[in-house]
Amino acid sequence: MKKSTKRVLAMVLAAVMLLALAACGGGGGDTAQQPPADSGGGSNAAEPAAPSGSKELTVYTAFPEAEVVYYFNEFEKETGIKVNYIRLSAGEMLTRVEAEKENPQATLMFGGSTDNYIAAVEKGLLEPYQSSELGNTPASYIDPTGTWNPIYVGCIAFACNKEWFADKGMSYPSSWADLLDPAYKGEIIMAHPATSGTAYTVLATLVQLKGDDGVWEYLGQLNNNMSQYTKSGAAAPNAVAMGEAAIALTFSHDGLQPTAEGYPIELSFPSDGTGYEVGATALIKGGKAEEQENAKLFIDWMCSEKGQGLYAENNSFRVPTNTKAAVADGLVTLDQVEVIDYDAVWAAGAKSDYCNQFEEKIASAPKE
Amino acid sequence: MANSAGAGGKSAARVKKLNETKMILRQPILLAAVVLTILLLLLFVIYPLIKILIFSLTDAEGNFSLANLGTILSTSRYLRVFGRTMLLGLVVAVISTFIGYIFAYTITRTNVPGKRFLKTIATLPILSPPFILSLSIIFLFGKQGFITKTLLGITGNNVYGMGSLIVVQVISFFPVAYLTLSGILSSIDASVEDAACNMGASRWHTFWTVTFPLSLPGIISGCLLVFIQSLEDFSNPATIGGEFSTLSIEVYQIITGSYDMQKGSVLALLLLLPAVAAYLFNKYWVGKKSFVTVTGKPTQARKLIDEPHIKWPLFAVCLAVAAVIILLYGSVIYGSFIRTWGYDYTLTLDQYKKALAYGWDSLKNSMVLGLISALVGGLFGMVIAYITAKRSYYGKRFIEISSVLMFAVPGTVLGISYVLAFNTKPLVLTGTAVILVIVFTFRNMPVAIESGTTTLLQIDNSIEEASTILGADTGYSFRRITLPMLRNAFFSGIVYSFTKAITAVSAVIFLVSARWNLVTSKIYSLFDQAKYSQAAAFVTMMVVILLVFIGIFNGVINLLLAPRSRVPQAKSEKTEGTK
Repeated sequence: MKKSTKRVLAMVLAAVMLLALAACGGGGGDTAQQPPADSGGGSNAAEPAAPSGSKELTVYTAFPEAEVVYYFNEFEKETGIKVNYIRLSAGEMLTRVEAEKENPQATLMFGGSTDNYIAAVEKGLLEPYQSSELGNTPASYIDPTGTWNPIYVGCIAFACNKEWFADKGMSYPSSWADLLDPAYKGEIIMAHPATSGTAYTVLATLVQLKGDDGVWEYLGQLNNNMSQYTKSGAAAPNAVAMGEAAIALTFSHDGLQPTAEGYPIELSFPSDGTGYEVGATALIKGGKAEEQENAKLFIDWMCSEKGQGLYAENNSFRVPTNTKAAVADGLVTLDQVEVIDYDAVWAAGAKSDYCNQFEEKIASAPKE
Repeated sequence: MANSAGAGGKSAARVKKLNETKMILRQPILLAAVVLTILLLLLFVIYPLIKILIFSLTDAEGNFSLANLGTILSTSRYLRVFGRTMLLGLVVAVISTFIGYIFAYTITRTNVPGKRFLKTIATLPILSPPFILSLSIIFLFGKQGFITKTLLGITGNNVYGMGSLIVVQVISFFPVAYLTLSGILSSIDASVEDAACNMGASRWHTFWTVTFPLSLPGIISGCLLVFIQSLEDFSNPATIGGEFSTLSIEVYQIITGSYDMQKGSVLALLLLLPAVAAYLFNKYWVGKKSFVTVTGKPTQARKLIDEPHIKWPLFAVCLAVAAVIILLYGSVIYGSFIRTWGYDYTLTLDQYKKALAYGWDSLKNSMVLGLISALVGGLFGMVIAYITAKRSYYGKRFIEISSVLMFAVPGTVLGISYVLAFNTKPLVLTGTAVILVIVFTFRNMPVAIESGTTTLLQIDNSIEEASTILGADTGYSFRRITLPMLRNAFFSGIVYSFTKAITAVSAVIFLVSARWNLVTSKIYSLFDQAKYSQAAAFVTMMVVILLVFIGIFNGVINLLLAPRSRVPQAKSEKTEGTK
């Protein structure tokens, strides 16, 4: 009896292996063999849809997952269009779109700062489309090339660990000069400008505030108080959440993200001027033909009063670009903060130069 | 004189190679295996790599250009980082293999208690996404760390840097060394060691003159696999490396931060050179020696070491390592049952509810795809080990080298190369599950190949020859003779492939699709949002599920591939086989 069990088992195993080997060895022609492995799942994006009237939209997004699902669900409720998405960091999103440019797998890029979109325009990866809903958006946010659409703003803030400051009996820093206080030694954290759009906005803001020479002197002094230059943008506020650092230099909406989990973080803003990022969305060039109309509908919706009102509903701490849209209670909007006239196009063009200088003069330099 | 002897040896080798090539041409199954292997490797290893090589040497206008290579080679920073990455790899490889050896030796040679526990501990670290260990270290030893601040009262402890990185990498990678070494140590014929002992050699002397030299292929394979993994590792240096940068990090920075895919790819391909060099060194050095101990002559069960002065120190070392692993994983499990890891310690089950609601589908995807790729990769790995370990023919070197390449490419670039190769006609695979299965199979197979090869090198050719002479064909000999002896190696290969497929991060960023999203990209995104407790809940569930699967693999493989010793049974099996 035992032997027969063995035999059955052997046959089953052999069958599984053969099947798997066939599915694998057969390569592309055999994609049809794969679906049996999936259990359920319903309709999927690979299904060829009619040229128009498709009820799906494929999106690469740089929004945090918990947040983005809320927008997609609301959009589906209103239009019946189901959004299939992949969440990536902004840099990964751009890389993926570039790698796939011969045969794009998604129709829309959604979220991430204009920095990425300006680079994407330069690489010829985007399809120009300006939403008709941009009428209530200040002209300074609008793309001069008419390709991407601005959907939110957030300014650079100091995200402070409430308990650290309570412990030391100190008040939050309120200017860039305050950050040089020796009491913050090893307690300030930001990402490396070469890997994080956030950190690069900090760098570009400081260049615009302090000038080409002053900036390196300032950052050199600040370097003595730095804990580390993290590799991802999100790592900086997360380190403040865990108490690994007291102050993170980051965007207001990213800085407050960990508070959703209960971590003690509060924001303060530099009174001597701060920069901001504009978040964007755009059509990917050569994206799925049957999804073009849906994508445009989505862009319009995200630029509209209603769509941007969702930031407040969802506690995302993003500031709408549509001046008509509702703003969350207690949210610091750009007119309450001393913002500089941030030049995003100049900043994008000068990026690799400044990042290299940063690496040479600051990140590789020894600390005192 | 020496010269002519060398030339004579060479031509003899060539004649042997030619003869063996001819012999293979006469064995249809073997020939088919060789040809199919070469074709698959060409399609899924060489083709994507050539695609990305061409891509990386093309400038914006589409012309051939070495400018990126020039920039990289003339930037002192990259050379410095290159040196540090190599140093890190060497240190981690040596320490990991040492610890792996102690575990493997203690488990296979001594009669210490709790072996099942030690085995589980030694495989546990490959079961989870690596950055979770970095996170545990931060929560235990960081500025607000439970051990540093709460227990010891140390404030301002900086955990980031090379030291912590070495600890995390050693713990994450020593299981690979252990798996390779336990395979080889348990298959060394017991009578060889017993003979040394019977002739009056001390345990120590036996170890140095018999066991250690015979396990050299495993030691070198272990070092090699750990070394390559350390070079390629992305998530640990990114989480806990602090100012310490490695080449994989630089590659990622260039590609996603400076939006320069070409330059990043060039740097990533340079990372292949040391890996391939180490691999070739291994092949040529180890390949020239004989490690045969399994000859087919009757042997007895191994007598386990019982001397207290040997087994207890070894046991103590294992327990110390186990304590560190339990501490790190314990804090993950604890972290999964509280409200906010590192801040609010209220006990709750919410994290599990949220994790299930958030990622059950992707967890299921990962399991299904991981399982398929593990079975395919494990079996294919055994086939490759079988057709390369003992033979010499034209094309063998190609199989050996190309089968290990995917293991050594930084994940980010591997993903991009697959997009470049399989996103356009003739073969469009992007967006499907097939591309994920293929990537996992080819990326994780080398462990199966290495443990298979090291085991086969111990087996005397005469066993299979005997089977062939008695009329069995190659396939039958492989199934009935070789495969049962390979079962430990097969098990290691499957376990490794399966767990790596489920925990892979950087390689899949560019290959997952909305339909086929995987659990690691979900966990990665939880980390970004500081939802550490939810990530911990996810990881805990993964580890439990993986342990169950490994238990099942172990049972099934032992049941199917256990050597059959009783004659009548063998007979009846044979008649069935010939039917």
